Amino acid sequence: MAYIGSAVSGILDTKLVAGKGQYTADVSLPDMGYMAVVRSPYAHARIINIDTGAAQRHPGVRIVVTGADIQQWSKPIPHTLNPSAFGGKTTDIYCLAIDRVHYVGTPVAAVVADTRHAATEAANLIEVEYADLPVVIDAEQALEPDSPLLYPEWETNELMHVRFQGGDVEQAFADADHVLDDTLRLHRHTATPLEPRAALAHYDDRAERLTLWVSTQAPHPLRTTLANTLQMDENDIQVIQPQVGGAFGVKIPTYQEDPLACLLSKRTGKPVKWIEERTEHLMAGGHAREQTLKFSVACQADGSVTGLKVRIIGDVGALAALAGWGMSYVASFVVPGPYKIPNCEVDLSIVVTNKGPWNAYRGFGKEAASFLMDRVMDRVADTVRMDRAAVRLKNFVPKDEFPYVQISGATLDSGDYVKALQDVMDKAGYQTFAEEQQRLRDQGRHIGMGVGFELTPEGGCIPDSFIGGYEGATVRVSPSGQVTVLTGVTSPGSGNETGIAQIVADTLGVPLGTVRVIQGDTQACPYGLGNWSSRSLFMGGSASLYAAREVQHKVLRVAASMLETAPEDLDCEQGRIRVKGQADREVAFNDIAEYVHKRAFDHHAFDMEPGLESTRYFRMGNIHHVPDDKGRINTYPSYPYAACVAVVEVDVETGVITLLRYVTVHDCGTVINPLLVEGQFQGAVAQGLGGLIYEQLSYDDNGQLQTGTFMDYTLPTAVEVPSVEIHHQEVPSPFTPLGTKGAGESGVSSPFGTIVSAVENALAPFGVRIHDTPLTPQRVWRMIQAAKNGTNGGADA
Amino acid sequence: MQTTIQLIVNNTPCEATVDTRTLLVDFLRDQLDLTGTHLGCATGNCGACTVMLDGLTVKACTILAADVAGSTVTTIEGWTQAARQSGDLHPIQDAFVKHHALQCGFCTPGMVLSVQQLLQEKSQPTEADIRHGIAGNLCRCTGYASIVKAVQEVAQTSSE
Repeated sequence: MAYIGSAVSGILDTKLVAGKGQYTADVSLPDMGYMAVVRSPYAHARIINIDTGAAQRHPGVRIVVTGADIQQWSKPIPHTLNPSAFGGKTTDIYCLAIDRVHYVGTPVAAVVADTRHAATEAANLIEVEYADLPVVIDAEQALEPDSPLLYPEWETNELMHVRFQGGDVEQAFADADHVLDDTLRLHRHTATPLEPRAALAHYDDRAERLTLWVSTQAPHPLRTTLANTLQMDENDIQVIQPQVGGAFGVKIPTYQEDPLACLLSKRTGKPVKWIEERTEHLMAGGHAREQTLKFSVACQADGSVTGLKVRIIGDVGALAALAGWGMSYVASFVVPGPYKIPNCEVDLSIVVTNKGPWNAYRGFGKEAASFLMDRVMDRVADTVRMDRAAVRLKNFVPKDEFPYVQISGATLDSGDYVKALQDVMDKAGYQTFAEEQQRLRDQGRHIGMGVGFELTPEGGCIPDSFIGGYEGATVRVSPSGQVTVLTGVTSPGSGNETGIAQIVADTLGVPLGTVRVIQGDTQACPYGLGNWSSRSLFMGGSASLYAAREVQHKVLRVAASMLETAPEDLDCEQGRIRVKGQADREVAFNDIAEYVHKRAFDHHAFDMEPGLESTRYFRMGNIHHVPDDKGRINTYPSYPYAACVAVVEVDVETGVITLLRYVTVHDCGTVINPLLVEGQFQGAVAQGLGGLIYEQLSYDDNGQLQTGTFMDYTLPTAVEVPSVEIHHQEVPSPFTPLGTKGAGESGVSSPFGTIVSAVENALAPFGVRIHDTPLTPQRVWRMIQAAKNGTNGGADA
Repeated sequence: MQTTIQLIVNNTPCEATVDTRTLLVDFLRDQLDLTGTHLGCATGNCGACTVMLDGLTVKACTILAADVAGSTVTTIEGWTQAARQSGDLHPIQDAFVKHHALQCGFCTPGMVLSVQQLLQEKSQPTEADIRHGIAGNLCRCTGYASIVKAVQEVAQTSSE
């Protein structure tokens, strides 16, 4: 294995570092127009009238449209995950609002003009008359019987109610030495990739064919969705994903602006380009995370957790066709994470409010479950006066009990949680930290260490959706021996193209530089579901491995015939095929490739199928959608995890938290490329840290977004994010051919529990208890003051 | 309103007519097809549009094209071309590739130019200097560790 396991640089990096990456905004076509979208300034209102007259007359304007036009020309956009498939409510989402707006930023009209300036000017000339409706921005208030309703036909704001239950919970609570309750609140924030959303649609009237260049993670499902929405044949649509400037989940679904740009290109007969503005992204690109997590836990004096009741209220904003609400479902699915708590129940309400709709974001609800379980373990430890890590070690699923089925049906594949946590404690100096802490405390500095653990189910596979547990790939060898890999997975910067090239190069025994990976073109690539849930390498890579093996089988058959030996006696490395142990008997891989293509009827190849190409699909063997005897299904096939230790310093005068160290032991199974895996993990921790301390989508009581630019939605810079100390624990997945598990998402969840635990530890002299995020300086300072004054004693700050 | 400007872009004299509202970043991208300069926020926060103006880094979304008449502008394309020493890339870029100091690549051209300016001002920066030097450039992918490592390597190599 020359490449698998090596720290190979990203195969696109030399191009990208020179500014030669072509992103959607960089693609231009002759005579293209620019689209601008008019958005609602109100959080909840009826649309009374839209006057487009002045905009229509504005110089350079090609078309102005409203919801009425859209309803006539297109169908609703199919939901990426339809809540009705889970027994929930639903509503039709068109490209533009029809008669009612549900959040600030709802698209209500659109303009296409010759220039960007003309489009913006015309958009400003559109007069929309609204009638205010009462606003509800708090999920718990939205559940009250007298709350304003977003979708009156539902007669409730509860989008969905889910319940998971296992064991005898009441008995566990009756028998407990201690029972404790708490309420946690995670705040609203989002992914914010640096490249905004972007689309360039070109409907070619002569060919009657639509091409869409778009910053997406899932080109094939997008094409299918467009066909539905636009009522076109799928064959007449090509979706092309240029280089994507970060995605992190928000570019999975079909956005309203995607079919909208296509429609307007069709109506104007010219290409239409749309580049999202940052404020549009923060208003309407999709939000995440905001959930209330109430728990009641039963434990014994020795720290064993015997029962757990959890109530989750997910505030998913207004409903959109995006996949967002699914994150609250997954939060409940993952509980109780890596722990063996057989008596457990989870009750989930997913609630709509007049805020921006949720959309997928790295973590996808797993961060909420991780935060919840870390807080549960810390509370139990504090109550029974045990070490916080020791309580986790006591309650982990033991390594000899895999596959382990949780109450939701989540079937944990493999791992050694105890060892991961013990190892990270050793690496971080957990046992000796108290002395250092005391020494610094004597100098007036407040340093704290916290421990946390994230379980990150990957490769989600939801029934009756394009969120699926399989992938396809084609491996093709040209007559000159060049290798093309075409994949159904895509890379928005996550590096799977490099990992896949490594796998294929090793399987064929050719230099990495001869392998080209093509992704994100529906005309070229096998149908695939795209990039999300860390699935690209362990599913797309496995499909590529299968296809490469099939091609190599033919190559070796021809080589064996030439070298008068058996295929199993051959080795292929760096493009040279040799008889094992006989350095002088060899043939070049390239010569075999040429032979197969040009001499299919000659004696070394005449008895086999011509060509050196294979398309294979890989499916995960441990997903099941037929309910078991307890009614459970398993929607996730891969369960990577990370044990983490954080060291923080808190300035008690200002409430500023500095993350000094973050140490992890991470298991994503077999590591194909440590450089890429570590890069993903480091980036994920930065996002978790940003979400916990710096980023917030804040609304006022009228549903107005207060943090609509990067001036006030603050992302962490290089100053705030330390270099994470990453160690690997490789427990191979039994369900993938190379033992790979999902890698890429992990790292985003653990900062919530780990850093919160460290901050509490740093502030132990004050007795601060943390329940809510974000940990902004102001909020931390208030927690310290409240604890000093004895006014909270652990209550909310 | 339109105005005509003369300036030097990537070592080439250039005359262009621009709408007076046009931002430098849009001028470079739309009129000169220099798409290596990216636009991420248009509020001067993210740094993806960083270019060199008369030898110093600026955020091209905060400057009007009309205001740079008579100036010298260098973008990632021109800088890469001019900075090539032996290989195909500048040592800063080589170090970025070696350490995988980029993932999606959207912030990278701006980041590389900020690193260039940082090392120009301080050839042997401390880790804190590096982190402050690139604090005007947001990266949403890497968490910065690999970028810091790449800059440290360039500084170390240049001192040898």
